[in-house]
This record gives sequence, structure tokens and C-alpha cells, in this order.
Amino acid sequence: MSAFLQTIGKPGRSALLAAPGLLFFFIFFVVPLVSLFLLSLDKPSIGNASVQWMFETRNFERFFGRALYYEAAFRSAGLAALVSAITLLLGYPLAFLIAKTTDPRRNTTLMILVLCAMQLDMVIRLFGLMVLMGDVGVINEFLRWAGLIGEQPLALMYNFTGVVVGLVQFSLPFMVLSLVGVIQGINPSLEEAARSLGARRWQTFWKITVPMSMPGILAGLLLVFAISFSSYVVPTLLGGWKVVVLPIHIFQQVAELGKWQFGAAIAVVMFVISFVVMLIYQRAAARASGGRI
Amino acid sequence: MARSNKSMRREAAVPFILKFLATLALIMLLAPVVVVILAGLNAGDHLTFPPKGLSLRWVIAFFQSDAFLPAYLFSLVLAVITMILSTILGTTIALFLARAEFRGKQMMRAFFMAPLMLPGIVLGLALYLFYLSSGLGLVRTMPGLVIGHVLVTCPYVVGTVNAALVGFDISLEEAARSLGAKPFKTFRSITLPVISPGIVAGSVFSFIVSFGQFDVSLFLTPPDSNPLPIALYSSLRYTFEPTAAAAGIFAIFLVVVSMLITAKLTNLRKLANVNFS
Amino acid sequence: MTKERNKPVGLGRRSLLKGGAAAAVLAGPVSLFNINHVWSKDVMWDGQPFDAGGATIRINEWGGFWQEFMQKTAIDEFEKTYNCKVAYDSSFPWFPKYVAGGPKSPAFHMGNWNLNEIIKLGKVGDFFLSTDELKENLPNAPDCWDFAFGSGLGVTWGFGQYAHVWRTDLVDPAPVGFKSFWEERFDNKRATYITSNGLFMTFFMTAAAEFGSGPDDLKAGFEAMRAAMPMKISDFTGNMQTLVERGEVQMGVQWEGEIFLQMDKGISVAPLTWEKKPILTQTHTVSRYSDPMEKKLALALVNTKLDPVFQNKAAETFYLRPSNKNAKLPERLTSKGVTNTADALDGLWIPDWNWYLDNEDEIVETVNEIFAG
Repeated sequence: MSAFLQTIGKPGRSALLAAPGLLFFFIFFVVPLVSLFLLSLDKPSIGNASVQWMFETRNFERFFGRALYYEAAFRSAGLAALVSAITLLLGYPLAFLIAKTTDPRRNTTLMILVLCAMQLDMVIRLFGLMVLMGDVGVINEFLRWAGLIGEQPLALMYNFTGVVVGLVQFSLPFMVLSLVGVIQGINPSLEEAARSLGARRWQTFWKITVPMSMPGILAGLLLVFAISFSSYVVPTLLGGWKVVVLPIHIFQQVAELGKWQFGAAIAVVMFVISFVVMLIYQRAAARASGGRI
Repeated sequence: MARSNKSMRREAAVPFILKFLATLALIMLLAPVVVVILAGLNAGDHLTFPPKGLSLRWVIAFFQSDAFLPAYLFSLVLAVITMILSTILGTTIALFLARAEFRGKQMMRAFFMAPLMLPGIVLGLALYLFYLSSGLGLVRTMPGLVIGHVLVTCPYVVGTVNAALVGFDISLEEAARSLGAKPFKTFRSITLPVISPGIVAGSVFSFIVSFGQFDVSLFLTPPDSNPLPIALYSSLRYTFEPTAAAAGIFAIFLVVVSMLITAKLTNLRKLANVNFS
Repeated sequence: MTKERNKPVGLGRRSLLKGGAAAAVLAGPVSLFNINHVWSKDVMWDGQPFDAGGATIRINEWGGFWQEFMQKTAIDEFEKTYNCKVAYDSSFPWFPKYVAGGPKSPAFHMGNWNLNEIIKLGKVGDFFLSTDELKENLPNAPDCWDFAFGSGLGVTWGFGQYAHVWRTDLVDPAPVGFKSFWEERFDNKRATYITSNGLFMTFFMTAAAEFGSGPDDLKAGFEAMRAAMPMKISDFTGNMQTLVERGEVQMGVQWEGEIFLQMDKGISVAPLTWEKKPILTQTHTVSRYSDPMEKKLALALVNTKLDPVFQNKAAETFYLRPSNKNAKLPERLTSKGVTNTADALDGLWIPDWNWYLDNEDEIVETVNEIFAG
């Protein structure tokens, strides 16, 4: 055994070690996904979920032939991009604050606060947000009391804003956690050196800290994009059906109308978009780390 | 004065605008949490806000509930099993990706990220169909549900362990090996200390994502044993109850406890990091 | 019959591991494991309790509080009497699970749900026993009103009239009819449901009838939806309740049971009904191709739900009207003017689900566009 392990070498051993994981992904991810893709190439029918091996493109023609669907693709991607940007804007400062907090107690407290927000169930969160952001919610009541708005409430939920807020809340912890370690890992003497050379605090931040944390920024952006792009439950509960994204269309087609083939086709479109985004990320990440070394 | 205290000095280095945005982020994260906690401690008969006085009646109702308490415990077991499996599989995959050299390796990395990009409901539906047609006997079973959860949590472990491996010099392992260390010994004394923050971060992610998972569970949930998010959804479809908010409090409580434990085991700041490239 | 089912499982695993049969695996359940169930079509139940020998029956039924009630009121005792196990699946939607398995290997042996999805499945395949077959096998059937068997598929044990809920303390003057929903004062304070909810479907057909030539007047239906914007869209009734309670919504689409519940909770709401009485039903299905034992159990379980004592309790808890003639209404229903007499059923209208489902594609697409604004 030992001799065998010697001969296959390190990559061989790690492949052997990873074999269960690779097999797992093959059986439970590749096979189901491929069958879903095959399904998308079948004739559209109602209430039939088995693959017929037809290899035709009617489902995709329908997707790209009707604005309702292809616009939803742009909406989904745009929404995910916007949420990623906002999450970065809010998450970076928070991660920076946590990374620069050296008192272990305060540090742990901050981390726990970030993580426990992640664990608030979506359906219960809906109630919480209704209380805060509804037409007669805390925010609108306050604005009314302060005389900033009239009778007409600000529409904060059951629309695009609501979905963005919901997704930002849900994905912010992922962004923060992608960043804290990276910011923490930046050698403080670099920042101190810049300061001692007369750089202002902001200059140090922009010229040293941000570029150095680029791998974390990119990973966080990718994670948040993935989470927002694929979320079904947030747009459903908080969007008031004004933000019909691709996952909602898939759900409608399969669970409501019994059209597995068309639902599968939309899933394929989503998969392709995700893969492209993923490859863009890898390019960017390679450039970022290349620039650093 | 500030200079004498190193930590004070570094904290002072956080510019005001960043502090402001960080506070804004925290408020945004925590406001709904506070509302739900107060609603769960409501003394009134219904889910109202602001609460009509504070009491533990709904917390007690949660402990007596036939719907929520078993679901909470089921989710806990599910999340622990998922966490263990995901951590093992994800770590081995990340190590493999770090060491092996082959064409299309980047594509493969992207591939292990893919379960996060697909809507959980699609994954659930695809698995449901696959379980049915493969005859593996996984339809509506606990193992079937666990598989779905492992698929959506594994990418986090791959990402965090991979991040820990960035900059890790594989020649260190080679050196240890050439000095006669057995592969397992090398792994334990050289590799593991390097990747352990990644492993811990990955398992924390796995646990939390699994515990709160709704989308994947929807079509894979076994009869008679609902995970908490599904139980809450089925129940709140009918009516919003304060007991549900109380259940929410305990879900949050669980995170706090598990994070306190994690903090005891490792430095929380070091644990967080993800990388998919 | 468990053996019968185990066989293909082993086969499937072997062929999967071999990898050679991947194609067959992908081809789906129907073609691979087409178990011949024809013999189970003729199962009859004599109406007497029997020993099921520990068999498990899979059912789909609503979750949460509903499940707690069903367990306590019907299922626990049923399991004892029949020596069986009821596997309760409450994670809606069930429609895709039935579709994925196909009629020949039913996802559930018995179901309790709404007519729209039942009839939708009926259009797709031969999933369920017909009302006539059910009638023959259910001892409690003769005691039920005709409409319990009026839908072609399944048997209805409880129902409620469709209504609009409105806030009596916030709305003045009081709304006068169905069309009040469209008054300008309810802009953004009115609410309906997403298209997958049966209450939306009923709402759509009623609006088509009120504003157009009949419930099948598509154009009038769409026009009414357009005219109702801006409008809030809820996905389920619990959410609607909260919206109304918090005053986010002052008039919403609902069914009477939920409104009565809110009234008894002390919330200032009232139901608004009209001459045409569309109803929402709780309907049981029994899957045709269940194995004989499970099928007999399913029939027996359905029969317990047609029992007047059970229906009394359901009426007490959920404000559901009974379908059994002998069920006694609780005070909380009679106090709201509900009766269980033949003339109370006059004018009841079960929407034409067949028409709706034939047009569902177009309705869903168009209404998606309208709601999105």
C-alpha cells in the first residue's frame, strides 16, 4: 500500500483522497444537471418530466423570442450586479472595521452580529421588514412624523427596492467574511510604511489596502452575485411580483404549469450566464494576484 | 496616549466615512433581527409590533410546539451532518485542485462553484427527478436531503480551504517528505495547520447555510420531518404566529452559541477568507 | 407489494454503478420502471376497519397548524385503528412531484389540496380515482351534499366562500360590491395573490365575469387586472392576513374562513360577498395506481374526513363549511350567518377550472407582465 502511494506521487494521492468528493459531484450534480439539460432539448409538453432525446431548440426559441423571458435574464443579472456593488460598498467598511479591531471580545461580538443576521429565516424576515419598511412601517411613520413625506408613503418593499434590501441583508455577511481575512492578512508594516512616507490615511487606504485586498473583493463579489442571481425566495417574498427573475420563471414553469422542458431551458440559460461570470471572475482574480506578486 | 496602546492606535486608523458605512451596514443587518426578537418576546396574543409587553409565553409555546421544536432539532442534526460531510469532501477537493496539474483546472474550479450559481429550487427539482429515475431509493429521504445540502455547502469549503492554500508552498511538504516523514504525518504537521482556518471557516459556512436552507429543501424534504425553514414556511402560509418568531430567536441563538465555541477554538478574524480562482 | 417496488430499485442501482445504463437512467421513471398496476384498479374497500400490517401511506396535506390539527383529530387514531403509518408531506407544491413520478408511480397515495391543481393533474394523466369510483368506496358518501362530488375528480370535504376582506375601521364609506375593489381610494391598498394561488384564479374569473361577458372573458379579465394596479401581490393567505392586520392593505382577496378568524381575533375586518358565490374547496384525491393496500388505506382515510364529527371539529378550528349534511355548525360560524342547509348551497359556484387551466399559460404570462408594471 505504502509503495503504491509512493509511486502515484503527490497529485495521485490527493486525487485518490478527493475521489469520493469527485464521484459525489459527478453522480449528484453532473448527472442530474445533464439530464436537466437534455430535458431542455425536448419538445415542450405539459406534465412530462422524462427525457425523450429529441434534440430540438423550441424551448430556447421561446425564451429568446419573448421579452418577458429574455428581459428577466437581464433583470436577474442586473439585480445581482447591483446587489454585489451595494454589498461591497457596505461590506468593505464593515470588514475593514472588524479586521482593524484587535480587541478579541469586540471582534468576536462583531463577527457574531454579522453572522446572526444571516440566520434570520426568510419568511420571518418578511415580517420584520414589513414592520420596518411597509407603507405604515417604522421608516415611513418616522418620515411622516418628521414631515419629510406627505400622506403618500415611500414604496420601500414589494418592489425592486425591497428585493435589493432583502438580498443585501442576506448576502452582506458573505461579503464581510470574504474580506475580513484578506484585510487582516495585509502586512500592517506596509500601511505603516506608507503613512510614514507621508501618505494620508485615505491615500494609504486606496493605494495599499484596497488593491491588496482585491482577491477578497473579487471572491466576495462572486459569492454575492451567485447568491443574488440564484435566489428564489427573496424576490418572491419581497418583490411584490414586480421583480420577476429567472428563478421565479423556472418555478412557475415547472411547479405551476408542469412545463419541465421550458423550465429546464431557463435553467440552462442561467447556468451559461453563471459560468461566464465565473470565468470573468477567474480572469480578474488571476490579474489581481498577478499584479501583486 | 493612544500611541502607547497599539490596538487603540490601529482602531483609530479607521476613517470616519468607513465607520459610518460600517455602522449603516450593521443597522441594516440587525434591524429586522431586533424586530423579530421583540415580536417573539411579545406578551400579546398575536404577532404584533410594537409588542404588547414582553413575556416568554411564545418561547414556551415554541418548546411545546409539535411543529417547530422537532423541526428545529431536525435542522440542527441536518446541519451538523451536512457540515461534517461538506468539510471532508470540500477539503479533499480543494487539496486536489491545489496539487494536481492538468488542463482545464480552472474550468474545474468554476465547476465546483456552480451549485451556488444555480437556484436551489432547480437543484432540488433536478435531484428529485434523478432520485426517482435512478432508483437509488433517495426520494423523500434524509440521505437525499443531505446530498442536496452538501452540494450547496461544499463550494464554500472548497473556496475557503483554497483561500488558505494561496501562497502555501507545496515544496514545504516535499521537504518534509524527503526528510522521511510519512504522507499522513506531513499532512498533519505541515499542511493541516495552514489550511485549518479555511476548514473552520468552511464548516461554519456549511452549518449556517444548511441550517437556513429553504430553496434546496423544498422538494427534497422527507415526509414527517421538516427542516425549520420549511416548517416555518408551511406554517406561515396559513397564519403568522408569534411562535414562529420565537423559533427565529432560537435559530439566531444557535449561531451565537456556535460562534462562541468557534471563537474559543480559533481566532475568528483569521478564519474568514474565500477564494475560487 | 413492497417487494414489487424494491425490485427495480436494486436493478437501478446496479445499472447505475455499471454506468452503461446511464442513458436509461436519464430517460426517466416512466419508461424504466413501468410497473404494471392494472390489477390494483379494481380494489374495493368494504368500509370496515382492517389491519394494514404496518404499511405506510404517503399523503400530501397542508403543514403547520393544519398538520397539528389533522394529526390530533384524525391521523393518530387512524394509524392505531388500521395498524399503519401515515407519512405526511407538507412541503407544497406537490404538483411537480406528482408529475415527476407520473401516474403509474404516484408520489402520494392520498392528497388534500385545492381543485385547480387536482384538475390540472387530471388533464396531464390518469392520476386519480374519479368521483364515481370514490363514491362507491366511501361509506360516508351518501350523507354528503352533491357538490362534494361535483368536480369530476376527488371528493370535497370542506369549503369556504370566496370574499374580499376589508378594514371596517379604515374604510369609509363601506364598499358595496365586488367592483368596489377597483375604486381609486384603494390604490396600492388593495391586494391579490400570485398566479399560482387558487384564490388568484378565482379572482381572475370572477373579475372576467363581472366586467366582461362571463368568467371566460380573457380580455375583460386582463383589463380588470390592469385597472387594479397599483396593487399589492401576496403569495399566500397568511401573508395577506398580516398585510391587512398591519393596515398595509385595506381590501384584499381572501376566503371567508380567514376573515372570520381575524374577526374573532378582534381585528376590525369584515367579509364582502356578492350574489355569485365562488367557493374554495378542500378536496381529497386518491391515486389510482397506488398499490392495493395503500389504496384501501387512502379510501379509509378519506372516509374519516367525510365524517360529520370530524367536519364539526374542522369547522370549529378553520371556519371551514362542511360537505356532510349531518355536520353541525359551531357557534363561531352560525354567528356569522352560515348555515348547513340545502338552500345555503344555492348559487354556489365552482369555477370552471378546465377553462382556466386550458388558458393558464397565456394568463400567467400576461398577468406576470401586468403585475410587473
